[in-house]
Amino acid sequence: MTFDTPAGRGGPLKRLFGRRRGAPSRARRRLGSAVRMVAALTLAGGVYTVFAPGAFAEDTRQLSAAAQEGKALFDNSCISCHGRDGRGVEGRGPNLIGVGAASVEFQVGTGRMPMARQEAQAEEKPPQFDDAQVQQLAQYVQELGGGPVVPEGELVKDPEADPEAMAHGGELFRINCTSCHSFGGAGGALSSGKYAPSLNDATPRQIYAAMLSGPQNMPVFGDNQLTPDEKRDLITYINLQLQEDKDPGGLFNLGRYGPITEGVAIFLVGIVILTFSALWIAGKS
Amino acid sequence: MKRRKLDIGALPGATAKQLDDRFQVATPLRRLLNKVFPDHWSFLLGEIALFSFIILLLTGTFLTLFYDPSMREIEYEGSYTALRGVEMSAAYASSLDLSFDVRGGLIMRQMHHWAALLFMASIVVHMARVFFTGAFRKPREANWAIGLILFLLGFLAGFTGYSLPDDGLSGTGLRIASAIMLSIPVVGSWISSSVFGGEFPGHLIIGRFYIAHVLLIPGALLGLISAHLALVFKQKHTQWPGPMRTNSNVVGERMFPRYALKQGGFFMLVFGVVALMAGLFQINPIWLFGPYRAAEVSSASQPDWYVMFMDGLVRLMPAWQIDIPIGDGYVIPPLFWPAVVGLGALTTGPIFYPFIEARRYKDKKSHHLLQRPRDVPERTGVGAMALTFFVVATISGGNDVIADKFHISLNAMTWIGRIGLLVLPPLAYYLAVRICLGLQQHDREVLAHGVETGIIKRLPNGRFVEVHQPLGPVDEHGHPVPLDYAGWVVPKKMNRLGALGPAVRGFFYPIEKPAEAPTSPGMPPVQPREERKELTSGGQQ
Amino acid sequence: MTDVKHHGAHGAQDGDRPAVDLSDPTLTRFEIVREGARRDDIEIVTYESQFPHPGSKQEKRIERAIALLFILAGALAMAFLAVYIFWEWEFELGWTLSDYFTPLLGITLGFSLMCVGFAILAWAKKLLPHEISIQDRHEAMSTDEDRQITGQTMVYTVDELGVQRRPLLKGAVALGLAPLGLVAAAPLVGGLIRNPHKNETPEMYSTGFNPAFNNGQLVRLTREDGTPIRPDDVSVGGQMTVFPGIPHGATNEWADSPTLLIHLRSTDAEAARQANAGDPNEHNQDAMWGNYIAYSKICTHAGCPASLYEQQTNRLLCPCHQSQFLITDNARPIFGPASRRLPQLPITVDDEGFFVASSDYREAIGPDFWERP
Repeated sequence: MTFDTPAGRGGPLKRLFGRRRGAPSRARRRLGSAVRMVAALTLAGGVYTVFAPGAFAEDTRQLSAAAQEGKALFDNSCISCHGRDGRGVEGRGPNLIGVGAASVEFQVGTGRMPMARQEAQAEEKPPQFDDAQVQQLAQYVQELGGGPVVPEGELVKDPEADPEAMAHGGELFRINCTSCHSFGGAGGALSSGKYAPSLNDATPRQIYAAMLSGPQNMPVFGDNQLTPDEKRDLITYINLQLQEDKDPGGLFNLGRYGPITEGVAIFLVGIVILTFSALWIAGKS
Repeated sequence: MKRRKLDIGALPGATAKQLDDRFQVATPLRRLLNKVFPDHWSFLLGEIALFSFIILLLTGTFLTLFYDPSMREIEYEGSYTALRGVEMSAAYASSLDLSFDVRGGLIMRQMHHWAALLFMASIVVHMARVFFTGAFRKPREANWAIGLILFLLGFLAGFTGYSLPDDGLSGTGLRIASAIMLSIPVVGSWISSSVFGGEFPGHLIIGRFYIAHVLLIPGALLGLISAHLALVFKQKHTQWPGPMRTNSNVVGERMFPRYALKQGGFFMLVFGVVALMAGLFQINPIWLFGPYRAAEVSSASQPDWYVMFMDGLVRLMPAWQIDIPIGDGYVIPPLFWPAVVGLGALTTGPIFYPFIEARRYKDKKSHHLLQRPRDVPERTGVGAMALTFFVVATISGGNDVIADKFHISLNAMTWIGRIGLLVLPPLAYYLAVRICLGLQQHDREVLAHGVETGIIKRLPNGRFVEVHQPLGPVDEHGHPVPLDYAGWVVPKKMNRLGALGPAVRGFFYPIEKPAEAPTSPGMPPVQPREERKELTSGGQQ
Repeated sequence: MTDVKHHGAHGAQDGDRPAVDLSDPTLTRFEIVREGARRDDIEIVTYESQFPHPGSKQEKRIERAIALLFILAGALAMAFLAVYIFWEWEFELGWTLSDYFTPLLGITLGFSLMCVGFAILAWAKKLLPHEISIQDRHEAMSTDEDRQITGQTMVYTVDELGVQRRPLLKGAVALGLAPLGLVAAAPLVGGLIRNPHKNETPEMYSTGFNPAFNNGQLVRLTREDGTPIRPDDVSVGGQMTVFPGIPHGATNEWADSPTLLIHLRSTDAEAARQANAGDPNEHNQDAMWGNYIAYSKICTHAGCPASLYEQQTNRLLCPCHQSQFLITDNARPIFGPASRRLPQLPITVDDEGFFVASSDYREAIGPDFWERP
């Protein structure tokens, strides 16, 4: 018998016990500066369009409709770091020719771009753009110079129909991903302030896009290395086993951070309860 | 023939008589029933370790019924979907079966693991209690040494147990253990090769660790725990100083009925807490770790908490390699110092502390009365220093998780640990000694002048003084006669003297109505209207 | 303490009390117990009921509470059994009832045991009489006479054997027992001690990429499933864990062999090539193929897979002790406890276009040890 809830919506119980949420306070702190940044960029973009209408009109000719929308967004929000036509600005932002739609989908879709400020690593934030806008931006960058694209369609396999997908995905996960993202998908530290993020809140498309594009310091896993089918297996494992499965070993999974949280728990819970009990037992009544 | 009627009522007596005829137990049994134990909450910390050891034996025995200590490669066919069809060792497969295909096996595994963590945690807490109260002094040096060896054995038991499931995390631990063996000068490669029966990982190590984990180490633990308890019995428990308590007696409760009953109840509590934790908190989810493969690893790979101090020292160790340019050249890798020398020194070094202290204080007497930490500032300082070192090293054992979750640079965490390990212990020593001296001084002040009452008296010449409530008799001028310090709590609040109502009971909120302050015969109850009247400290005169 | 009610005689003069005549039929049971305690040098100073009036309201209240705790413990134990027998317990993916099997067992069992614990403790604490007893420690040293007698007895025992007087026996015993002791040690030494350097291709210095394990052929780099790798299988800025292409090459039989194959960007590759050319040990020269570089995955510090590849900074991080290696500079350790660089696997591409190791590692891989050159 199972709880009759569709995948992805576990109800309030799940929110209480299972998933580690992002750090909202930090995100909120960043939000303010991000909003100011966007405002400044919008202003800069506006000024730019007023003074350079000719260049604008010339470029748009070969772009599709969606890409044109994307270009407008790009020129508003991205151009100050990534330069005109995404050619990059030395010391500010990389060249975007050939990074592909997958990269845009990941970076903008997870709120990492636009960046609030230059730092060791772009932080995940509440996205600045809605899904449609992200797709337009992605289409624009795709048409600038091609590159990898996240395929359409369902990325999570049905384990009933394909019983081996989970196990295969798990094997791929352990050999390719756990060294940074850890066995439980909780993420981990890299050198000098960089880190591999937690996978708990990543959507299948984001995971797929990240593998294709290798954002930040993540290595690229191209389609020759992990075929699209293998990527789906991997995503199936991450989604069904790490994200959607309730841990069978307890009400709380202690964040799946490994023995360190278990050590904290034995002192904060076990030793504390038993010391208070000892105080009560030996206390003069 | 008339059958003799069986007298049920006389049966126990008769049986007892028959038993005593054969075994002469009456006198020793009476001695056992009549043993006096002092009562203090801190004396129960060691019991937690004893009780969790019993839980470990019970749950561990259950686990052996299903566990297969074999490194034979098989294909997993159990009910855990995400590993079905994966090649793995029989040891790992049987650990998975224990978790998923044995009804109630997972709770047993988790109880075993939590009990192991609790065992080690209570050993450390108990050891701290013994150290800070000076309970290790003559004649108990041997029991102190046994306790330290018990910690080391528990460490080994924990590590071998951590390795048995043969999952990805425990295999990583084994690999580090092999590297630690390799780092030993001259014989390192021979030791590793001998322990693993060849190059790492070989096919033997799980079987060897299994017999060590279920027979050799628990046997040694059982023997030493028995010796530990026997010595407590023989030498009788230490006690705090206090009324009637001297160095040559024990004041407390006889073992039966009340003391033994309390022990039984406490065992149930420890068992209950372990079971509760096993139900609430998932521990060591081996199914996520996968079978051990030499190429696979997880970020945040750490040992269990009691090994973490060693791992932390290994992480903090600078890359100092010693090259010995003889022949082809030999090396002592940096791993050797924290993992072999450090672990050895940290677990065996404290064995000698009782002798060092006795020598320093030229103290050859037997001590059965405990000392309050404040009364021996140097020892307390040394203890604070050791504890700080242990805590910094332990935290550094998880510094990558801390760096990740608190958004600190990993490299910065390493440097914080390196500097902290050198700077914080002396600082802890200094602070602990200062605090001890301050507390001592306050005790002496109260003994000399009495308890601060919070009542301010104005003298005829206009000076204000605080009225003190003397603890003992007063001289002809009404000044308290200074009292000697008895090594025990000095009352510092009026309610401890009965001059105010007793402290209100209840931890978070009062569970009873605060009692009315008793009126002392020398001091009339304070009348609201009579504020202007000069307050007198009537009790003094 | 003044309101403490003493049973029997008070204080110190108690010890001088004449022994109780146990045959006296008027003795209460408590008096017998106290006499027993006295014989063990225990003075029961206080033994008083917590309830001045037996059967008082408060006593009844505590009794009820304890009874309730016991009944609760029983009910929770029944709940444990019910969960154990009837609850879904077999593993199922997702959020299922079976995920609550273990938590429910733990919670019911834990609270049941805690109820029993609290019941027993409350019984001991609240219902049993308060007691203060004093027992003498009797840590009297053995008398000098006793010490002398025992000491002499031991010396006498040795003397009687006459080992001192019979040097022949002394030698014979040594000659007889020493070999027997060695017999006890022999199986341990012979069976357990294993020479790590005895194989023809020394196991400490060779990996699965040694052509000796592949009939002299160069060994291919393969994925974990044994398939060989073409250069375009690894994207720029990508990495792949590769194994020797020999039977069982990806298993723990070859635990020293896992290797990280990295496709560097061209600028980084150029830096790496130059560093290789300038390698002071001359091990890494011409080890790269194109922009591809391969390093041992086994950390030179403690043997964990050092595989956290940062594709922008070109660092490799080991997750166990945070050693960091710079890929573009011969994998030199730049942070953390590792003191030795990661060995580089010389690679090339064979006629069929698959990666092969052009030789085994030129340095010993894995954690450092004493005799490693």
